[in-house]
Amino acid sequence: MTPPPPPADHETDTPTAPGLDQAALIAALRARIARLDRSAAPAHGSLPLSPAIDAALPGGGLARAALHEVLAEEPGAAAGFCALLLARAGGTVLWIAPEPDAWPPGLARFGLAPADLVLVKAPRRAEALWAMEESLRCPGVAGVLLLAETVEMTAARRLQLAAEAGGGIGLLLRPAGSVDAATVAMTRWRVDALPGAGGAQALGDPRWRLSLERGRGAQPQSWDVTWRVATERLEVDGMAALRSLPRRRA
Amino acid sequence: MRRRCCRTPRLDLPPSPGAVPMATPLAMPSLPRGRRIAALWLPFAALERRRLTGPAALWAAVSGRHLITAATPAALAAGISPGQALADATAILPELLLQPADPDGDAAWLRRLGRWAHMLTPLPALYPPDGLLLDVTGLAHLHGGEAELRAALLSRFDRAGLTARIAIAGTTDAAAALARAGGTEIVPAGGEAAALAPLPLIALRLPAAQIAALHRLGLREIGALLAQPRAPLARRFGTALLATLDAATGVRPRPLQPLRPPAEFLATRDLAEPITTRLAIETVLAALLVTLCAQLRAAERGARRLLLRAWRVDGTVQAIALGTGQPARAPRHLARLFQEKLDQLDPGFGFERLTLEARVTAPMVAAQATLPGEDGIAPESRSQALAELLDRLSQRLPVWRLAPRAGHWPERAVARVGPFEAILPPANWPGPAPRPIRLLRRPLRLSAVALLPDAPPSLLRLGATSWRVARAEGPERLAPEWWRDRPDRPPRDYYRVELGSGARLWVCRAGPPGEAAPWWLHGRFA
Repeated sequence: MTPPPPPADHETDTPTAPGLDQAALIAALRARIARLDRSAAPAHGSLPLSPAIDAALPGGGLARAALHEVLAEEPGAAAGFCALLLARAGGTVLWIAPEPDAWPPGLARFGLAPADLVLVKAPRRAEALWAMEESLRCPGVAGVLLLAETVEMTAARRLQLAAEAGGGIGLLLRPAGSVDAATVAMTRWRVDALPGAGGAQALGDPRWRLSLERGRGAQPQSWDVTWRVATERLEVDGMAALRSLPRRRA
Repeated sequence: MRRRCCRTPRLDLPPSPGAVPMATPLAMPSLPRGRRIAALWLPFAALERRRLTGPAALWAAVSGRHLITAATPAALAAGISPGQALADATAILPELLLQPADPDGDAAWLRRLGRWAHMLTPLPALYPPDGLLLDVTGLAHLHGGEAELRAALLSRFDRAGLTARIAIAGTTDAAAALARAGGTEIVPAGGEAAALAPLPLIALRLPAAQIAALHRLGLREIGALLAQPRAPLARRFGTALLATLDAATGVRPRPLQPLRPPAEFLATRDLAEPITTRLAIETVLAALLVTLCAQLRAAERGARRLLLRAWRVDGTVQAIALGTGQPARAPRHLARLFQEKLDQLDPGFGFERLTLEARVTAPMVAAQATLPGEDGIAPESRSQALAELLDRLSQRLPVWRLAPRAGHWPERAVARVGPFEAILPPANWPGPAPRPIRLLRRPLRLSAVALLPDAPPSLLRLGATSWRVARAEGPERLAPEWWRDRPDRPPRDYYRVELGSGARLWVCRAGPPGEAAPWWLHGRFA
């Protein structure tokens, strides 16, 4: 008994040279998965932070056209980290908050020029989310920062889709206390201030602890970094990198 | 009496052969293509706007006496007349319904009516206290002739419950006089003098003293006045009388003073069926935007300020104004801007007419298409998208930029400017001293403990929480800007402090070192 011949439609799928075609099929599927999984290769490029950190992130930096969450253990340090990201986005950025308190003389030390900064006062959360979504959808905007306590999953998902459409980077700056486990953001960072390296009479350059808590295609890690004001570079301290996630501060 | 007759010029005699004759109706040059003005007189407007029917009247206190100022036809028929004493009127007709007059309310109502009349003609004008002047030049053919236009206007006002007297003539003064005094209803171009001839002098709104003087001379009708030689008339009564006559007959017509200047860019849509739903309004608005933007494109201009007006079936007009940051004429963008504001419209029983007008425009040259950038989007379309976004955001939320200024006082170091302003930082900005990244709009009051009176603080307390200061940098003394500040404002000593946790704060002592000077938390460093 010979087995019945395979159906015709199956015939078209299986080519004559099985080995070669399987490889092609797998490659095509891989490409398709990569297209679906946007974390693999950001289409709009990424923002470099520092070589040591970039190496740990897929795409060699913080992906543009995506939403990132920043939890502020210390409001000043987290705002500094966000200002650094917005400045590196290179273009007009929007700062949306119930009471925007960004101050250009200080932001200029992170490379954010006052001509690039637009402030939006959105006292109500629905308006703030609307403004954030509209801004992210706009191709003329390089980055948007939203100060918010909580953002639901649905709203965050909308923001993520808007960022993918517009190509700018979206930052959600939230207080550290209001944290929920799940997130649709591409990465979640926790920023805390560290004592400076200066002497008793001089504070020295700002130092932060950047903890990558979640990230698509990235392992949770923590770095102690120093922002060099003079050279406008973010330097990772010594061998502090590649530690496990530190215990949460009380 | 005789003396007075001797002093007056012989005006009532036939003109002597040598005298220059007054411009007679026959000799007057005809106006071939002049304006056509429809004058409306609403004799009972003050009563009809209050929906008073039957015997009713309005009264006002005139120099201590209560007098009737207006009465309905029913009351007039019963013997009530304006100018009568209130007591007499109630004696004649005890059931007379009386209400106090409200001249200011009447004037406001007439203004509203004038705004509504924009749906009849682009150029309506008020003729206080109870009249309207409509420039109907070129409108008659839409109705099939001036008689039909007049009939349409009459029925329109009749439906609204308003009694109107309407006359159409070539000059505003003639039309208004004919509407008030009656007579020819539609005066052909150039026939104003003939139509005015039988009217009494009061129809021209001449001063009462002048009318009395003319009456004494036996001149009771406008025709008699027009037949007089001009020079003696001017000598006796001044040139103002002649100017009035010339304006009425069309020799030198006075221009209409419209309620608002005619719109340069205007799109209008009259609706056979009143619309009430948001979807319908948006559809009509989209059509209006297409028309208006085509006009703007033809003129190479962009709108800076738009006005959408909606005429409701009950005769009220609602308006929505819209401003844009940069000249715009993209229908889709403008429609999105209106999206945020359409909630302000209250359709009630429906809108019967929508107009869209570009009140302020600015030159806008069509942008040349440029090659797309590295990611497929041209830089022009990028900045265009940003401008549209800022327009949209500022319709709903406060949006601004911060422009640095050459000032060291923290509160005045930056100024709020509009989102479309160009920002040029001054030279050497922001200076060598570190500045906080967030400046508190309302500084927080701190209590501080310092080891020495002029030493940096070693412990800070904000309410119930207290922070130990690990390190401090300072002081940096900032003196107030005396040329614009109040003289008793103390200088501030600013410290950058680092707490044990690593947080960096900008705190200041407002005043000289000592117990009394308060401490403030003013900003946060990164």
